[in-house]
Amino acid sequence: MVLLKCRHCDYKWDYEGIKEHYATCPNCRYKVRITTEQVDELHKRKMDLKIKNRYAVKNRPFKLKGIAGIVDGFVKEYNYDESMLIQILLKLQENFKWLPKEMLIELSKQLKVPLSQVYQAATFYKSFTVAPRGRHLIRVCMGTSCKVRGSQLILDILESSLGVKNNETTSDGRFTIETVNCIGCCALGPVITVDDEYHGNLKSFDIERILSKYK
Amino acid sequence: MVNSITIEIDGKKIKVKEGITILEAANQLNIDIPNLCHHEELEPFGACRICSVEIERKGRTRIVAACCYPIEEGLKVKTRSEKIDRIRKAILELAAVTSGENVTGEMRSLASEYNADLSKFASRITFKPTKCILCGLCVRRCTEATWDSVIGFVGRGVERQIVEFPEKKDICAVCTYCHDVCPTGRIKSTGADPSFPSLDDVLAGRE
Amino acid sequence: MKRRIKSLEELEKLRNEIKAKKDPNKPTIAICVGSGCIALGVPEIVKALKNDITRRNLIEKVEIRETGCLGSCEEGPMAIIYPEEICYFRIKTEDASEIIEKTIIGKKIIERLLYKDPNTGRTVKNLKDIPFYKYQLRPLLEKNALFDPKKIEDYIAQGGYSALTKCLFKMKPEDIISEIKTSNLRGRGGGGFPTGTKWQTTKEAPEDPKYVIVNCDEGDPGAFMDRALMEGNPHSILEGLIIGAIAIGSQQGFIYVREEYPLALENISLAVRQAEGLGFLGKNILGSEFSFNVRIHRGAGAFVSGESSALMTAIEGKVGEPRPKYVHTAVKGIWNRPSCLNNVETWANVPLIILNGAKWFRGIGTKGSSGTKIFSLVGKVKNTGLVEVPMGITLQDLVYKIGGGIKEDKEFKAIQTGGPSGGFIPKKYLKLPVDFDELDKIGSMMGSGGMVVMDEDTCMVDVAKYFVDFLLEESCGKCIPCRDGLKVLSSILDDICRGGGKKEDTQIINDLSETIKEASLCALGSTAANPVLTSLEYFKDEWEQHIKEKKCPAKACKALINYYIEPKKCQACLLCLKECPVNAIHGDKDQVHWIEQEKCTKCGACYDICNFNAVERISGRPVPPLPPNGTKPIRKKGK
Repeated sequence: MVLLKCRHCDYKWDYEGIKEHYATCPNCRYKVRITTEQVDELHKRKMDLKIKNRYAVKNRPFKLKGIAGIVDGFVKEYNYDESMLIQILLKLQENFKWLPKEMLIELSKQLKVPLSQVYQAATFYKSFTVAPRGRHLIRVCMGTSCKVRGSQLILDILESSLGVKNNETTSDGRFTIETVNCIGCCALGPVITVDDEYHGNLKSFDIERILSKYK
Repeated sequence: MVNSITIEIDGKKIKVKEGITILEAANQLNIDIPNLCHHEELEPFGACRICSVEIERKGRTRIVAACCYPIEEGLKVKTRSEKIDRIRKAILELAAVTSGENVTGEMRSLASEYNADLSKFASRITFKPTKCILCGLCVRRCTEATWDSVIGFVGRGVERQIVEFPEKKDICAVCTYCHDVCPTGRIKSTGADPSFPSLDDVLAGRE
Repeated sequence: MKRRIKSLEELEKLRNEIKAKKDPNKPTIAICVGSGCIALGVPEIVKALKNDITRRNLIEKVEIRETGCLGSCEEGPMAIIYPEEICYFRIKTEDASEIIEKTIIGKKIIERLLYKDPNTGRTVKNLKDIPFYKYQLRPLLEKNALFDPKKIEDYIAQGGYSALTKCLFKMKPEDIISEIKTSNLRGRGGGGFPTGTKWQTTKEAPEDPKYVIVNCDEGDPGAFMDRALMEGNPHSILEGLIIGAIAIGSQQGFIYVREEYPLALENISLAVRQAEGLGFLGKNILGSEFSFNVRIHRGAGAFVSGESSALMTAIEGKVGEPRPKYVHTAVKGIWNRPSCLNNVETWANVPLIILNGAKWFRGIGTKGSSGTKIFSLVGKVKNTGLVEVPMGITLQDLVYKIGGGIKEDKEFKAIQTGGPSGGFIPKKYLKLPVDFDELDKIGSMMGSGGMVVMDEDTCMVDVAKYFVDFLLEESCGKCIPCRDGLKVLSSILDDICRGGGKKEDTQIINDLSETIKEASLCALGSTAANPVLTSLEYFKDEWEQHIKEKKCPAKACKALINYYIEPKKCQACLLCLKECPVNAIHGDKDQVHWIEQEKCTKCGACYDICNFNAVERISGRPVPPLPPNGTKPIRKKGK
């Protein structure tokens, strides 16, 4: 989509790939630098192609169903912009509580990013899970201040009373335990959150009472 | 309009064009800086850190990676010294924690050159060694060849590994690009005998 | 008030209109609803207050203002009653109607809710007399109490956006940069790089377009200053960002907020929408020729993405791994364009400098570091919370004068500064002043402002292991020294804490630290060894006891301690028996209790709950034999 010239063998060709700093000359296999103006040109042409495709999608006579339809809704909301990959994954994780494999493959197809990049993002960040979780998510803060004030004890009590270890789900699917590195309420350690509700200044006998509120 | 600037490597002065890295400049002088994750046809990655050299600039010395540092006027580079040899030896010994000590290829020859004892931290390994140092050459080469990559990185930190995506298996062109560049001899062949664990196995916990 | 403001005169007219509607003598209860106080149950208190006011038909006459963080988290939930400026602490839901009846209507003070000085026993009424606040200087945080962060009208009424009008209409971009340079504002995110120089480098870089970024990815455990600023005063950060964009010549800004701060995300999104609606963002701001847009990016749970080059990679849509930073990101950042990244607190200081002048800012603090800094003083002190002090204050003043000393009057052991990149500071260096350069000399650093105080019950080997494990989990894993080096360090420290330490371990740690420090790719790796090295240097005797005698002096390493009930002190009250989660304690109503060592998981629940100090932790010697069956407890007289 953009014309590149190799400075070693003077070969010219139309580059269509995804790299943004260097490309490989098909003739002599040397590295060719891509300048910032050429990268802009590449982006502009890709965006034009996407807009053309978008009109093709709009005029489609049927609505996308199933997982393709769900992903299509979010991708359209973010305007088919590939730099919003992580924001789209966050929205998908919030709505479905996990990211099934079919959803990631569909996202790679609709947003036109390589599948390896989608999988790398989905397994790099701690907020995303590729396996289903329990109905209620318990997050125990393991920051420095909470640890000094006794968060390890809270984690041990949770593990022994629910019968699971860190990062596991109870067999009835009720709770999943996770540790998180610093929620930001450091003056009130130890702190846990259950489904976005904060509980601070905990002592060992508070746990039973808090857990019984969640079915 | 590229300018020429003068830099000094190991006492030898050289006049080079602007816009290249220390590693490329050293190659022009036939000075050998070892590297494990660099390939002349790919963008610099900076993962193995074995190409660390000592530079002196404005009176301060620093250790930087030669494959990524762009040259500038008045730069003085030292590619061998006691400190650099110590660091390179330590990096090779640390790399053996992930890969185990049965490596062949570039890493084995570097280990014998720097007298690195690849089994020094063998007692600290808690899982099966994989012969891979995660240099990323195979993934980058595959992205070049197919523009979509059959293999890729998953995970973060100590759980980082290279897996094969079963959905993309049929675009593998058996081009042997990944086999050619592997510095530890982990990739035995391409095609029929899979060298990488499949993503489904890794996610299910079977590997 | 939904129309865009198109000129300076319109803004002033709006400001006067809002001010005229407000009555400065109206009774107001300013109550903190930051994330910390929400964890203590503040939503119910606010609901109770509102219900009470509705019941008494006082909605027009009394205002309940839900503000951001007010600073004193240990004594929370807290509220300030205006116009008398009375402070109430440790409020409970039951106190709500009493506060309305006695203080608002009856103008009388409730004594038990006031602050009580633990040394003199007297109660203190006003904010500025309380020792926690008396020694602070709070130009940034005192504004939190004056307005509701969800209402832009409050911010405008207090003089908000007047620094912006000064920069748009009365100053040139070069004047703004030279003002920031003269004030010697240094980056508050931990690096301490002079902000004016960074702005100038970005402005002079040849490529276009340029970007400005707010870094609110505060991953440091123990630090929550940015959260308090973002929740309590989001418009000041926005104003600073727009001023920076005018100075640099940028049209697009990004705000990166981490995913663990949902309330901060909500407040800043609302602030951006309100500012766009009124014309402070978008095309032709306030009728001038300058246009600027802001986009908010959410983080996804990675500490390493807070590093500046990793953050820019994450904004590009790729995985947030750091890049080699040999060319400054101010010259080549997002999409290889000049990008200027600054911390939240740095941006919040910019409007103050523009309004009060560089000389005022320079007059606070020390010669090398000007201005104030917000610290989060947490850990084992009596008064935990957020403190804002001028640079140059000594650590001793921070811990004893403002913090009030160690909790339960135990012995001070160390203070940890700067998060996982900093180090431990022992008692002999307590007189050092705190600023960007002083703490570097002893191996630590000030960092972004987290200060964790540790007492005699903290084991220094255990805390060093905690930091190494934290960094191991959060490392991106790209380069060999950080990924594998930390793996080996973690394995060695684990062995030491379980009693398997060997003599040559300290030598291996020192050798490895050199490689990790010099050869890593980013700042996470190169400062990863600091906690372990400072712990080894200043607390060598604890390490020797762990390695040679297999003993933990602070009695914290689980594998090296045992719990034992002293038969002479036990009163057979059955409390610990019921509390034990694995039923390892046996005994009866008239029989002393004893712990079955094989079942004991060393969780410490029995130690916490015993009222007679009968449970002991022993380390370094064998467990005494069990009392014979049927031993009766020695009852204490008079109970």
